[in-house]
Amino acid sequence: MRAVRERGSYLLYLAPGALLVLAVVLVPFGMNVGISFTEWSGVGEPEWTGLDNYGRLLSDGTFWASFRHNLALVVAMAVLPTLAGLVVAATLVDYIGKHFGARQAAVLRACVYLPQVLPIAVAGIVWSWILAPKDGALNAALRALGLEALARNWLGDPDLALWSLMGVLLWMQLGYPVVIFMAGMSRLDPALHEAAELDGASWWGRFRHVTVPGLRPEIFVVLLTCTIAALKVFAPIYVLTRGGPAGATNVPAYYSFQNFFERTRVGYGAAIATVLTVLVLVLTAVFLRVQQRGER
Amino acid sequence: MPQRLIAAVVAALLVGVAGCGGSDEAADNTFKLWHFEGPDSAMGTAWAEAIKQFEASHPGVKVAFEEKGFEQIQKTGSLAVNSKDAPDLLEYPKGNATAGLLSKQGLLTDLSDEVAQRGWDKKLGPGVDTTARYDERGVMGSGQWFGIPNYAEYITVYYNKDMFDRQGLALPTTLDQLTAAMDRFVAAGITPLATAGQEYPAQQVLYQLALTKADRGWVDRYQRYTGDVDFHDTAWTYGATTFADWVRKGYLSRDSAGLKAEDMGLAFMQGKNPIMVSGTWWYGRLRAQVKDFQWVSARWPGMTAGSSGNMWVVPKAAKHKQYALDFIDITLSPAVQDKLRDAGGVAVAPGAAPAADPAIRQLNDDYRALRDADQLAFYPDWPVPGYYDVQVQAVQKLITGDADPRQVLDELAGPYREHVASIGK
Repeated sequence: MRAVRERGSYLLYLAPGALLVLAVVLVPFGMNVGISFTEWSGVGEPEWTGLDNYGRLLSDGTFWASFRHNLALVVAMAVLPTLAGLVVAATLVDYIGKHFGARQAAVLRACVYLPQVLPIAVAGIVWSWILAPKDGALNAALRALGLEALARNWLGDPDLALWSLMGVLLWMQLGYPVVIFMAGMSRLDPALHEAAELDGASWWGRFRHVTVPGLRPEIFVVLLTCTIAALKVFAPIYVLTRGGPAGATNVPAYYSFQNFFERTRVGYGAAIATVLTVLVLVLTAVFLRVQQRGER
Repeated sequence: MPQRLIAAVVAALLVGVAGCGGSDEAADNTFKLWHFEGPDSAMGTAWAEAIKQFEASHPGVKVAFEEKGFEQIQKTGSLAVNSKDAPDLLEYPKGNATAGLLSKQGLLTDLSDEVAQRGWDKKLGPGVDTTARYDERGVMGSGQWFGIPNYAEYITVYYNKDMFDRQGLALPTTLDQLTAAMDRFVAAGITPLATAGQEYPAQQVLYQLALTKADRGWVDRYQRYTGDVDFHDTAWTYGATTFADWVRKGYLSRDSAGLKAEDMGLAFMQGKNPIMVSGTWWYGRLRAQVKDFQWVSARWPGMTAGSSGNMWVVPKAAKHKQYALDFIDITLSPAVQDKLRDAGGVAVAPGAAPAADPAIRQLNDDYRALRDADQLAFYPDWPVPGYYDVQVQAVQKLITGDADPRQVLDELAGPYREHVASIGK
């Protein structure tokens, strides 16, 4: 009886959070799924069309292209920042921290983290100036260095736009893994490094066999959160390219937005959003599963 | 006990959420007005004056004005109009995909009786009503009045006169002269045409080119679905192939594919390109910001993209419709219309005296000439919801050379046919 009572009082603490999740996540998601089975312009009565929107998705080239672009962005926002983050964090801790002092390392860490703090709209506008075709800073710099042949229309060329976007997103994203990994490294037992050093292990050997395995939980968290961020990326696309040129940088989240608000095909937009949500949920489940297995 | 507490928490939260709507009593004598014109723009200036006049003629009524953004109204305005907190009057984009959609859903007040009674139709003159009237399918051009426009806009050609003078060129009045002038600029190493592919400017240039071979029937078939549209007819083919030619000849830069309208405007204002083909909405800004060279605006030869400006609409759910109608009446008064015109706008019902500034007089005379000759052709992205985006992508491909004119016209045809097939559903 007492146990039941105690459980009741625990539930009480969970109630506000649960209610909020219900109100701002579960109910809207349920409504979104419901709307995805209809044809609806956003006003008036939705018309029930069953699985039509999903059937249409299967043969929609723009939708599949947007997913391919998303894979590239997973590389730019999750894979590369994780790899680069490990190297930068290790350099800051093992080299800068040891030879120049912890304060210098902290200042550099803050510099790398800065893009994470900048509002995306501001960062996006600044990058669109840097990458502007005629008098953008990047092309101007290339010209000044006598490398005019390398100057390009970075965001306006369909063959280059996705690569340029990946570069910007890598820059935006890098600070996050660096901070997490540096925190993780301070958790590692220094005795392991010392023992390896005594055994004659090189920096690379210690990095590979001590630091990286020790950071496994952090790496999982960073990969998971960055992959989810990459899948639902919207703001940088909106500010920098609006999915263009000619659809070269369109992603599902932006495509869904276009259908919701620009094409007034709310049902179809809801179907894209549903597929995206399911994909994120599945991926999260897989990640967590693999992580749990790794911990065991 | 815990259950009771949980119930109390849930009840408190629900009451809190419900309470966010605010009370209706407070809004009793408040006239809720939304528009998206900047305070320094011609329309913003004129409507600030209209608010002043409204307050003077309606003592005791509080005007609750909210400045919105165009995109905000375009994308989420329908939700606001559909809610019980709808404003009494708001500025709304015109066309089938916007005001037409709302009227079809029964969310807007039918203003036809008021139009006849207050004589607004006579004030506005013929042609302007096309974008104000919608039939039961939400298609513009006939049916009931659901909106009242009180300014107009059209595409015009802006010339940097100093750059023309330096090349010894007269300002063109025909397309051939324009082309010859652009050849001269290219030969001098100058890209003549400022444009932008990531937003509306480039698609409007393509449409302007098509319009040189079009007539009213062509425009009505395309915009009002009065007949079949062949995207490979003479006009469309001329538009797309000439645009591709212009790219090939260097009249406009391939780099413009990734540029926004703002980039185009800045390039013209900085004297980098001598020609800009764009809307009269740039006029006021050019007047304010271009100080180091002479510029003029001139009519595009032939039919021209343009229409009434955005409109006032009165939501069905509005609480003070009378105030809304009174306010519209004030914005159409000669005093407010003259104020709009003198601030660089295109007035639809100005007073008898012409503008003092000859350049503004020209801008307004050009509009009247277009309207009287029935040459306003609306905008290329109007016929289909989301067509703006389709056109941006198709024309970008024409600029980068990723598609030929035929493929681009096919891309435009697909969504158009799909939409036309669904009209009236």
